[in-house]
Amino acid sequence: MRVLIQLRPSPDLVAAVADPSVPSTASDVADGLPGVVLDHSYAPVAVPRPMPAAPGGDPLSLNQPLVFSMAPQDASVVVRGEIADDEFTSRTALLPAARRDVVAVYADPVIETTLTCAGDPAVGDWHDVERLLCVPDLTAEGLDGAGVPVAVVDTGINAAYLKAARGQDVTVDSERSWSPESVTGTPGDFPVDHGTMCAFDALIAAPKASLLDVPVLLSRRRGGSTLDGLLSDAIAAYAHLRQVLDAQPAESRALVVTNSWGSFSPRWDFPPGNPGNYSDNPAHPFNLIVGSLAEAGADILFAAGNCGTQCRDGRCAYPDRPIVGANSHPRALSIGGVDTTGTRVGYSSQGPGRLAERKPDVCAYTHFAGSGALGDDEPDSGTSAACPVAAGLVAAVRSRWPSTVLSPAQLRTLLRRTADDRSAVGYDHDYGYGVVDAAGVIAALRRRAAKAA
Amino acid sequence: MAEVLITVRLPAPATLEGAMRHLGLAADEVDAAYGLVPVDPGRNLYVLRVTEDAGRRVGAAGDADGGPYSDPPIEPYGPPR
Repeated sequence: MRVLIQLRPSPDLVAAVADPSVPSTASDVADGLPGVVLDHSYAPVAVPRPMPAAPGGDPLSLNQPLVFSMAPQDASVVVRGEIADDEFTSRTALLPAARRDVVAVYADPVIETTLTCAGDPAVGDWHDVERLLCVPDLTAEGLDGAGVPVAVVDTGINAAYLKAARGQDVTVDSERSWSPESVTGTPGDFPVDHGTMCAFDALIAAPKASLLDVPVLLSRRRGGSTLDGLLSDAIAAYAHLRQVLDAQPAESRALVVTNSWGSFSPRWDFPPGNPGNYSDNPAHPFNLIVGSLAEAGADILFAAGNCGTQCRDGRCAYPDRPIVGANSHPRALSIGGVDTTGTRVGYSSQGPGRLAERKPDVCAYTHFAGSGALGDDEPDSGTSAACPVAAGLVAAVRSRWPSTVLSPAQLRTLLRRTADDRSAVGYDHDYGYGVVDAAGVIAALRRRAAKAA
Repeated sequence: MAEVLITVRLPAPATLEGAMRHLGLAADEVDAAYGLVPVDPGRNLYVLRVTEDAGRRVGAAGDADGGPYSDPPIEPYGPPR
């Protein structure tokens, strides 16, 4: 356990520690403390002594006037160290007896920044995301998404809104778009909503991508409710996308599928262990078709979900391991969310996943002022925004690297390997392998191209 | 749970009518609008949507490849609430 140890050494030593012009080390103050491994990277800190402002006062009460003395005979010194967990109680009791200069031993708990949560204002805007994704560098490499179909499986896209919001033309490929039979409407002409936000965010890194509008979440089948579809609609959509993929010539084969949706509750599912279950069952038909489409050459990305422990969405009903079903598929990328400072947003679901343990795979940017599709002052938020941001980067790569040259599995590995690791050591269930790093991706692709030449 | 999914393997070209005959399903037990959807063309694997009772019966009879499987609602994830 990490601890702070307060000592009151000789006044000369206290004076030296308090003097910024005199270098002092933890060993100078606290060498030889039994059972304590000193942290030598932490310089000792002089701490003033609280004294009542009036005679007879309590020096430990913060509710009365106090003065603080840094006089060498009054002040103390704090060093940092570690005590073995199984010795903590005995060591903390014995230390003041073993060394008369030890005043007390305190816990040194981990402190964290406050994480971005739902309702918080935007952190940066989509131009910051553009910069973080090195879009000018991607464009200079010819990685702008030109000719790459990006299927936005969601609530439909409004192309006119996108064009106005981005200030440039947007391509919606109506021929290759698809709607469930119960959905009426024209591709690219659906009401502005969640799907339009996703499309906007995919276009940040891949402004020339061709959007395929796949509004499965507007479906109203028997059993459906407000603004949701059924998983069977997604199966039908994926069957259509397989045809789209198979119809492409091998030399340019590419299809990016972004999915900012999932199942919030086990209520409508068979329980884990039942052969008909979805959340934990790789044999469920939707999980089969995801694997099949990825094997055929599609890059499939799923939002990790908004069930992070710090500020989970109120709809989250899985008691644990909230990255379920295809959102945790081994052949898909599961995308967590970070704000534009690179810090995980508190609602981003943490792993492990239910189909594959190492979920999320990577994180991408969210909670920024972007499309405005959810309201004038509403940020593009949730892992719903992070997923298409990452999908845009994938689509940018596909402009020059079709799936017959760089398979979806290889691209997933490349994104994981180049990600900016945000944890102490390697993979963790908050950030996955880290935050997508477009500069790292570009460098890796250059090396790959040079090797192939 | 109003409807469930079952999978079936049929030689190409497969049709919904052929799947219904193979599985012994009546017209009112099948979501005909949903149809017969290919899951993995390379393995001749298809899925169809049926009533819960029919799914249970077909699954127990052993003529289906798999199922009954759940067909849960899906929702957009964002914005977080």
